[in-house]
Amino acid sequence: MPTIEELKSIARAAIDDRADWLIDCARTILENPEPGFTEVKTSRFVSEKMSQLGIAHQSGIALTGLKGVVQGGRPGPTIAVIGELDSLRVLEHPHTDPETGAAHACGHHCQTPMMLGAAVGLLVPEVLESLAGNIAFIAVPAEEFIDVEYRWGLHKEGKLGLMAGKQEFIRLGAFDDVDMAMMAHTASNSQETAKFALGGTSNGHVVKYVKFIGKASHAGGSPHLGVNALQAAMVALNALNTQRETLRNEHNVRLHGIMTRGGAAVNSIPADVRYEGRVRGRTAEAIADANEKMDRCLRAGALTMGGSVEIVTLPGYLPMKNDPDMMDLFKQNATELVGEDEVIEHPDNLNRGGSTDMGDLSQIMPVIHPYTTAAVGSGHSTDYVVTDYEQAVVNPAIAMAMTVIDLLHDDAHTAKRILDASDPTMSKSQYLSFQNSRLTEELYEGV
Amino acid sequence: MTTASELKAKAVAEIDRRGDELIGIAKTILDNPEPGFKEFKTAQTVGQAFQRLEIPYEDGIGITGLRGDLKGGTEGPTVAVMGELDSLKVLGHPHADAETTAAHACGHHCQIGMMLGVATALQAEGVLENLSGRVALMAVPAEEYIEVEYRDDLRREGKLEFIGGKPEFIRLGALDDVDLAMMTHTSSGDAAAGSIAFGGTNNGMVAKRIRFLGRASHAGGAPHMGINALNAAMIALSAIHAQRETYQDPDTVRVHPIITQGGVAVSSVPADVRMETYVRGARTEAFMDASNKVDRALRAGAMAVGGSVEITTLPGYLPIRSDESMLELYGQNAAGLVGKTRVQRLGHRTGSTDMGDVSQLMPVIHPYVVAATGNGHGIDYVVQDYELGVLTGAKAMAMTVIDLLFDGAKNARRIAGEYRAPLTKESYLGLMRSMLRESVHSE
Repeated sequence: MPTIEELKSIARAAIDDRADWLIDCARTILENPEPGFTEVKTSRFVSEKMSQLGIAHQSGIALTGLKGVVQGGRPGPTIAVIGELDSLRVLEHPHTDPETGAAHACGHHCQTPMMLGAAVGLLVPEVLESLAGNIAFIAVPAEEFIDVEYRWGLHKEGKLGLMAGKQEFIRLGAFDDVDMAMMAHTASNSQETAKFALGGTSNGHVVKYVKFIGKASHAGGSPHLGVNALQAAMVALNALNTQRETLRNEHNVRLHGIMTRGGAAVNSIPADVRYEGRVRGRTAEAIADANEKMDRCLRAGALTMGGSVEIVTLPGYLPMKNDPDMMDLFKQNATELVGEDEVIEHPDNLNRGGSTDMGDLSQIMPVIHPYTTAAVGSGHSTDYVVTDYEQAVVNPAIAMAMTVIDLLHDDAHTAKRILDASDPTMSKSQYLSFQNSRLTEELYEGV
Repeated sequence: MTTASELKAKAVAEIDRRGDELIGIAKTILDNPEPGFKEFKTAQTVGQAFQRLEIPYEDGIGITGLRGDLKGGTEGPTVAVMGELDSLKVLGHPHADAETTAAHACGHHCQIGMMLGVATALQAEGVLENLSGRVALMAVPAEEYIEVEYRDDLRREGKLEFIGGKPEFIRLGALDDVDLAMMTHTSSGDAAAGSIAFGGTNNGMVAKRIRFLGRASHAGGAPHMGINALNAAMIALSAIHAQRETYQDPDTVRVHPIITQGGVAVSSVPADVRMETYVRGARTEAFMDASNKVDRALRAGAMAVGGSVEITTLPGYLPIRSDESMLELYGQNAAGLVGKTRVQRLGHRTGSTDMGDVSQLMPVIHPYVVAATGNGHGIDYVVQDYELGVLTGAKAMAMTVIDLLFDGAKNARRIAGEYRAPLTKESYLGLMRSMLRESVHSE
């Protein structure tokens, strides 16, 4: 029987063999960016690749998601290896789809190839046979919580419950048979110095979908008969900015948003102005506090103009926590690949301002969400470009495959130990009721 | 038999004879500016003048106001001739009181001179005995609606009910027996220098005393424990501006707040921020509508920061309407004094005066003598032409009083009889009281 080291070498060699194929997959996805819940081409592409690898899978989970479970030699826990399907929208990114504005300015195009890469390594019969448990290969939609109006519409039509990919996967039961999960995200060399960066936490958030309602009128002829919803929004956003001094630095609160509709015609008083916003923070309390401040300001804008405002608060993401034992395994494997100097472990108190729905999953099972430094530029910006595809796709695929082997080898005793020691913050049903409680709709009429 | 023209000639000659004295009084007041309801020295100056003229008078009306009466030869209507006692406050005006910043940047010092000029003129030999009725000579406090917090405190202490002098005079009954009223204001303008302008309308207004309440906290150490009342005020100001496009042009709405307290120490989150504002407009409905919008903005400011706001809306001044028949008499006299080409009709003016309140109850005129240069209420508003600003202004009013009360007060009786008062004293007081709103909002 091969040793664990031999198994890892076999998996690694298999992945290295398919390196060009994996990188090509990433480049194909890069050139076909699709925002969350519209990843039709990407989903079809990944599905074909999974089929080519012989992974039987379901598709259309949460509209565009995929999941294929592969059994090891013996029964045991199920480990999910996850890749995200969706792109962001960034105008004028070098790889922007000129029609939709979609662009992979967050490196997700490397994630499903990483997942496929891990599959390549783990599906080598010798490897798979030695594992006790299952591997769930998951391509999940919509990690970027954008296009809020569209997603809220899908929710209203009953096509979505929760409005981000992993959230909806949890709700639909697609993680019910999963015990632990992992994925890797690309990072930029402007953020991270080592090739792999582990640990740290990330902000949670709630999402705002806001509609200021006024009354249209001729903007030149009879502005006094109108109620200007754009002015309401301006007052609200100015008001929001004055709150910033009341936000505590250690809460890492972020209040930001975009105006998705600011009026229909310049000569008509804007009567329907929409704002999509985000309230982020390190703790649920910090988010709730900042969210109340945002709501106050939104109402104040409507009150000023004598209009009204609809405030929909969508359950956003929960803070990310990495399982320390899983992280140790990944760290050892990453170190073997790139050397000690190229692996950094951030302290627990390093909190990232951004958010991920891997945070949601991290509340109900042990997960890791390491970063692989393979890009240049600033995340979510026009200059965020993956430059090192070896590090973006191949190395993290190998590190994840090796970590799965660590977990499930030897009758999965490591996975079982970690599961025994883990103490999830909440159960799935607690998670769902918490998230559902954060979904609120308010109509405030300013009189 | 004596004619009106003969009486007017005597009146004019008397003003010229006592001209230096009258201009001297105006200049004394210029050098002793006092804001409304604090015009103690100014009131004393007027009292002394009444004494010299042997006019019986009452003082202390509306804290500092005076009224002296002259009786004609026979009974008849009462015509009030008014002058305003108070100064404005303008930092850096050449005649500002260094201690209080009070300054006559609106020319009221000339008004007292004009009013005393009329008193002087009517006492010329043979004038009064040929008039029927009475002339009430009034020195009225506090036309400038300023120091709102100070005056509102006087109101709360029961020393005042209204913030302006003439509304107080009305409330106290000092105008109960008055049938017609007039006063003359100075004005500036290079092109119009030396002329007399009259007619037209003025904005009405309400005033607001505003207090944003937050919570103090160390501004560096623990801003999250504070509630910033200054930010509430900033939001409210932005919110006020956001509504300007909803005001209709003919309503000439004006909203122009000041912050009278913006925090007490830069290292402490401001917890008590105070503002004062007027809300003006050409129609009562227009400025009351705007007042509502301002209240929404103030509430929005407090709401946004999670604080509260106390809003006291104080009745201000009503829009003025000058009586056309009185203007006709006045216009002829003015043209006789300065020439037809230097008499002009005014349109709508967006400032406000409490003569507007009087105009809701009786026929009034409120002409302007263009005797100053500079920008009204600015640091450069200076009366240059005292001959016009005091003496000619007084002559035109004295002549008009003679027109009104001569010949059995035929004109005064006709004009008062034809006048349709929009309000009675009771309905006026009811309207003013209905504008008073005191509310606290914590939303």
